[in-house]
Amino acid sequence: MKETIKITSVLTFVCILCSFLLAFVWAQLQDRVIQNEKDYFQDSLSRLEPDSVKIEELNVSGELIYKLIDNNSRLLGYAFTATGQGYQDKITLLAVIDSKFQNLKGVEVLKSSETPGLGAKIQEENFLSQFKGINVETAVECLKTETKQPNQIKAITSATVSSRAVVRILNQKIEDLRAKLNNQTYE
Amino acid sequence: MNNFLKGLWREHPVFRQLLGMCPTLAVTTAAKNGLFMGLAVIFVLTFSSFIVSLIKHVVPNQVRIAVYTVIIATFVTIVDISFKAFVPDMGRALGPYVPLIIVNCIILGRCEAFASKNSMKSSIIDALGMSLGFSWGLFILASIRELLGEGSILGYRLMPGSWNNLIVMILPAGAFIVLGLLVAGMNKIEQVKEKQT
Amino acid sequence: MSDLLFIFISTLLINNFVLTYFLGICPFLGVSGKIESAFGMGMAVTFVMTLATSIGWLIYNLVLVKLGLSYLQFIVFILVIASLVQIVEMFIRKFSTGLYQALGIYLPLITTNCAILGAAIFMIARNYSFIESVIFGFSGGMGFSLVLLVMAGIRQELEFCDVPKVFKGAPITLITAGLLALIFMGFSGLFSNL
Repeated sequence: MKETIKITSVLTFVCILCSFLLAFVWAQLQDRVIQNEKDYFQDSLSRLEPDSVKIEELNVSGELIYKLIDNNSRLLGYAFTATGQGYQDKITLLAVIDSKFQNLKGVEVLKSSETPGLGAKIQEENFLSQFKGINVETAVECLKTETKQPNQIKAITSATVSSRAVVRILNQKIEDLRAKLNNQTYE
Repeated sequence: MNNFLKGLWREHPVFRQLLGMCPTLAVTTAAKNGLFMGLAVIFVLTFSSFIVSLIKHVVPNQVRIAVYTVIIATFVTIVDISFKAFVPDMGRALGPYVPLIIVNCIILGRCEAFASKNSMKSSIIDALGMSLGFSWGLFILASIRELLGEGSILGYRLMPGSWNNLIVMILPAGAFIVLGLLVAGMNKIEQVKEKQT
Repeated sequence: MSDLLFIFISTLLINNFVLTYFLGICPFLGVSGKIESAFGMGMAVTFVMTLATSIGWLIYNLVLVKLGLSYLQFIVFILVIASLVQIVEMFIRKFSTGLYQALGIYLPLITTNCAILGAAIFMIARNYSFIESVIFGFSGGMGFSLVLLVMAGIRQELEFCDVPKVFKGAPITLITAGLLALIFMGFSGLFSNL
């Protein structure tokens, strides 16, 4: 019995000491960590819409999107994230769309684990620049060949599945948000 | 001195003792990642060994593994928080493999096999040797994979423009194969050395 | 429901813990020599992993997060895992001495099996619900067992081959694992159209 008490108390004591140490470290660095996470999102957002000075969160039927406001208090557009299945794992995108939901201003990849050298190219400028200003009044199409229409983009060679996944994820989200915004009254 | 050197070659944690393979294979997709993981392990192993050696006479036998693990987990959490606070890009690149240092057999292995039985000074030296050995191992593996898979090391392009990237090197399969070849290589070197004596 | 099935198949095959995420390599290299011990190890790991993710989820979401102590997650998880392994060890020793002897040193090593802690960490990072976490833990263990068994089968055959001396043991096992990883990559496109 005495041994069990000794064992338990040593372990408990060590745990308590360690917890205090961690609490101390966390207290010192907590702000930096949270700020870094915010910055990661903000940086991507600033790259897509450099004119926005204010970002307001908007709840649209349970979905969280962001209103982008410029320094004249005009609505520049909206930003939203979209996640879906890629080739290997889930892909998370950040997209900025104009206020009328007609044209995308740009797309960035926040998270992806596609095949390096192939599907991972969806993160590159070559692929993503196709989404700048693309018309989304009808669904975006992903082609293997050269594009002809304003709502078409060209897939990455040997990475058709990843490319198509990006387009599919965007289309689904835009359609979903469009429907929800139309049903919602806001000021 | 010997205490320090053994971790660098003769008793190399990865290539000879075959410990700590999980992070070795996972983070060596780029030389930079390997370096930072090495740094994290140096910090965790050195501090953990120091503390374990400090309290070795106070900890009852039955609960020692649990106690060592909690201590290791604490230092790993400190590293994880520090990465997120000071080098968030690296934290994102290494991802879940930073907390997984807790179950890196090298750390618990050294604490159990050495630090719990030796002086604080020896334990720190042993820890430094082992973790530096681990780091150079990571760096070599990562450099080979990055060089063959992306044509660069630490981001500096080294392969000529005509080089076709061997993407498989960056994929898990490549990791296994290159590590297997490296261990075989080490075995060969040891074999040759033995023949010479 | 299809979400759960997706998690199961994806963790079992597409994003296999051992071949894609390199979790559980130590026991993978150590115990995959014989099919019987591989099977026993696989079952023990699956059991511990499922319990670990379930209990871990509960403690993380119901206690740590509510108290703002999420930075203690790693310490808590490893303690939960260590305790679970102790219990499993006592259980096996009592009910199956044969299995206990076969697994030997590897049983307590389940605690440091990166796969179990890895499963817990991934489930938190991916924000799984409780049910999703349980399924995830179970599939992770099954995926580990699957690869372990395949590996054991191959290694038993390798015993009869003339492996060059420098390759014997770890090197040839690693290279075999690499080939297995390549093969499993074929599962990648399984769900791409969903």
